[in-house]
Amino acid sequence: MNICVLIKQVPGSEAQFNVSGDGSWIQETELPYEMNESDNYALEEALQIREQKGAGEVVIVSLGPDRCQKVIREALAKGADRAIHINADAPYNTDPYSIASALANAVKDERFDLVLSGLQSDDLGFGQTGVILGEMLGMTTATLVVGTEVQEGKIKVKRELEAGWFQWQTMDLPASLAIQSGLNTPRYPSLKGIMTAKKKEIKKLNFVDICNVDELQSFAGLSVQHAEKQTEMIEGNIDQIVNRLVDVFKNEIRIN
Amino acid sequence: MDNFQFSSIEKIILTLSTLTCLGSFSYEVWRRFKIVLKGRESLPFDQFGKRCWRVVREVLFHEKVMSGRFWPGLMHGLVFWGFLVFGLITINHFATGFGVPLLSSSFHHAYSYFGIPFAILVLIGIIALAYRRFITRPKYLGKTSPTSGLVAVFIAILMLTYIFGEWDLSPLVWKINWWLHTSVILGFLWLVPRSKHLHLVLAPVNIFFKPFILPDHTPVEIDLEASEEELDNMLASLTKMTMNQALDVFSCVECGRCTEVCPANRGGGILDPKNHFMLDLRDPLMETGDVDVLAQLNVEAGWECTTCQACTDVCPVGNNVEKSDEIRRLEVLVEGKVPQEYQKLFNNLQESGNTEGAFSSPLADSLPRYNSEMEYVLWLGCFARYGLDPDFENSVRSFTKILDAAKVSYGVLEKEHCSGDPANRLGDKLTFSMLRGHNVKELGGAKKVVTLCPHCAVNLGSEYAKYGEINYKVEHHTQVIERLLNEDKIIVEKGEKGKVTFHDPCNLSRMMDEVDAPRKAITSVTNDFMELEESGRKTLCCGAGGGLWWKKETKGRTHLVRAEQVVESGADTVVTGCNFCYGMMKQGLGALTPDDRSAINVKDVADIVAENMITS
Repeated sequence: MNICVLIKQVPGSEAQFNVSGDGSWIQETELPYEMNESDNYALEEALQIREQKGAGEVVIVSLGPDRCQKVIREALAKGADRAIHINADAPYNTDPYSIASALANAVKDERFDLVLSGLQSDDLGFGQTGVILGEMLGMTTATLVVGTEVQEGKIKVKRELEAGWFQWQTMDLPASLAIQSGLNTPRYPSLKGIMTAKKKEIKKLNFVDICNVDELQSFAGLSVQHAEKQTEMIEGNIDQIVNRLVDVFKNEIRIN
Repeated sequence: MDNFQFSSIEKIILTLSTLTCLGSFSYEVWRRFKIVLKGRESLPFDQFGKRCWRVVREVLFHEKVMSGRFWPGLMHGLVFWGFLVFGLITINHFATGFGVPLLSSSFHHAYSYFGIPFAILVLIGIIALAYRRFITRPKYLGKTSPTSGLVAVFIAILMLTYIFGEWDLSPLVWKINWWLHTSVILGFLWLVPRSKHLHLVLAPVNIFFKPFILPDHTPVEIDLEASEEELDNMLASLTKMTMNQALDVFSCVECGRCTEVCPANRGGGILDPKNHFMLDLRDPLMETGDVDVLAQLNVEAGWECTTCQACTDVCPVGNNVEKSDEIRRLEVLVEGKVPQEYQKLFNNLQESGNTEGAFSSPLADSLPRYNSEMEYVLWLGCFARYGLDPDFENSVRSFTKILDAAKVSYGVLEKEHCSGDPANRLGDKLTFSMLRGHNVKELGGAKKVVTLCPHCAVNLGSEYAKYGEINYKVEHHTQVIERLLNEDKIIVEKGEKGKVTFHDPCNLSRMMDEVDAPRKAITSVTNDFMELEESGRKTLCCGAGGGLWWKKETKGRTHLVRAEQVVESGADTVVTGCNFCYGMMKQGLGALTPDDRSAINVKDVADIVAENMITS
């Protein structure tokens, strides 16, 4: 079973970051980066499926600047077999459609039975790339996957619905699954893994060379939300105060 | 006695049985010794005089046996000293059987005035110990051991037959008594190497070889350029015990002191150092006849350890009990099985060089930058630098106030990275070695380093020194404060109000062996100082050591046990000498202080001194 895992490098979840001067992106210097959390779970799931099946390849596909090498090496150290790094420099393309089409071009000659991606990236959070890529590759797709069971030519997945409900769905392979965090226990790269990862192949591509569609959406700007407490003293006679209170409840706090 | 003759048949039986038992004894000891010799590293003979003196103190004087368990220790002492007293008598006893008594009748008789009272003391000792083991049965002794009962009976018979033999007896009765005494001694020879009573032989040897540095885990040298074969060899070596560690396992007397003092165990965790760190290794060692058995230790227990070294420090037979380092390094480096919160921590350390993944520290920016003309590098540590408890910044300010008043120059390093304590203690020796490499370079020109964090002090000092020579001296800030007080560089008054107590940090007391400096500093500002019941080197860990500060969920309540003791002590102020203890104490006391009591102050030694400093 050959599995592709989409891995993104994102700023650490507890990192303090600032918006860059022109408001187009965050300031990238002095930021700790890490593997996107749900991608880490997707990788673990891929490694476990491969270990169960005893054969096949786990291939990492990552898109981003040079610093992404860190998470690619980490994934290889954990046991992935090889990687494809699609180099993209700032200003970054943030449109899931054009990103998915670049990814599709990068892997179109591969014969993957499964594409696993994290449910969404912790930085942009669109949650669409894996699904669009699946469609582009003619695969069945599922999101919010919290469990997998590979069967003959098919895969049974457990999906997390709302309010504590789960759904089991059997799908044809090949399939693209967006993996929810928490379904397994991700491993840490062993020393042996780190050493052997140095010899593993990382194929390099350029985003501009393989992206042949136009962006469907782009960033207008970034800003940091400022939460402020506002206190309003309501003055006047009782009728005025009550009217103003009702107005606040109805139109500002929106209590129905 | 000269009248009692032994027939040739008796002499043959005596010869054969003595040879059999001595042979079996030697064979069993040799079997174990052969396994010990397969261990890594060698047995140390450096500091020979100091080692001998330690044997005298801990074996002859029973220093550790009696410490903490005085009465049982004293009873054990009676039995042990009895062994020494009866050594001469036993040799003479066998020589008599072979018809060549060594002692003259009159000397033997004279010796009995000393021997008989001693035999009674031994009897008292062994009866008291048996009573405790089989009637009182303290929990930490574990399962009732039948061999202990047998040994108690043996010793009692030896003493009774000795006393009886000093009476005027008919030849037949004397002979029966003599043979009874002899059989028990031979039985002893048979039993000792097959049971925990081997400590009789090994404890003095083991205490002699006990390392002086605490903790004494072997360094893990990682060469990322190594060949595959070299790497495999290095990884394989991680499962191998050292000679000293293997000797420990055979010396263990199963007294359970290590488990009794273990903070993880006392907090309700599963960790039981006596079994998890020692006895679980005994069968694998004997069954495989080799030392590559560390991978068989209980992993869950290993992650619970706070690496406080209480288990090792309390051991009466000189064992280096703690094995969490060995367990964790295998889990991290070989297995890649690391709890998620620690993976996050390691990623932060790799990405930003600190535990928090931070890139700036307002505190560090506000302090003078170190240059080579300054006396001290003021090492902040991540806890202070990135405000793991924001209030601890005040303690750093207290210390700089003291240094300023004493006109001592100091500065912080711009590129100070984590000393590596959490990575080192949690088994990520690769990340530790990256941090160590960075810091050793940054500290290149420094001569003296002072820090408020004993974890940093131990790692920058004795831990780094295991990997290569370091050219600077590390001091804990309480040591500097004590010196400034002694030299009258700072003047203080005894102005502290209320009862003050001190919580000894494990890294300071046990690993740096410093218990006096903080006490001298505190008692210089208060007249109302009181000790906690567990203090000095016998302190109880706050629960944060061994990387457990970053552990999200713990089964037990390790972090609350100590805080509870502080509440019960009735102190108004608890002083600590470690940022992690400070943070833990505040968290614990906040939750535990009863409503009808005013909040217990938590201060660093620097705080209490700075607050009572007279500035001109």
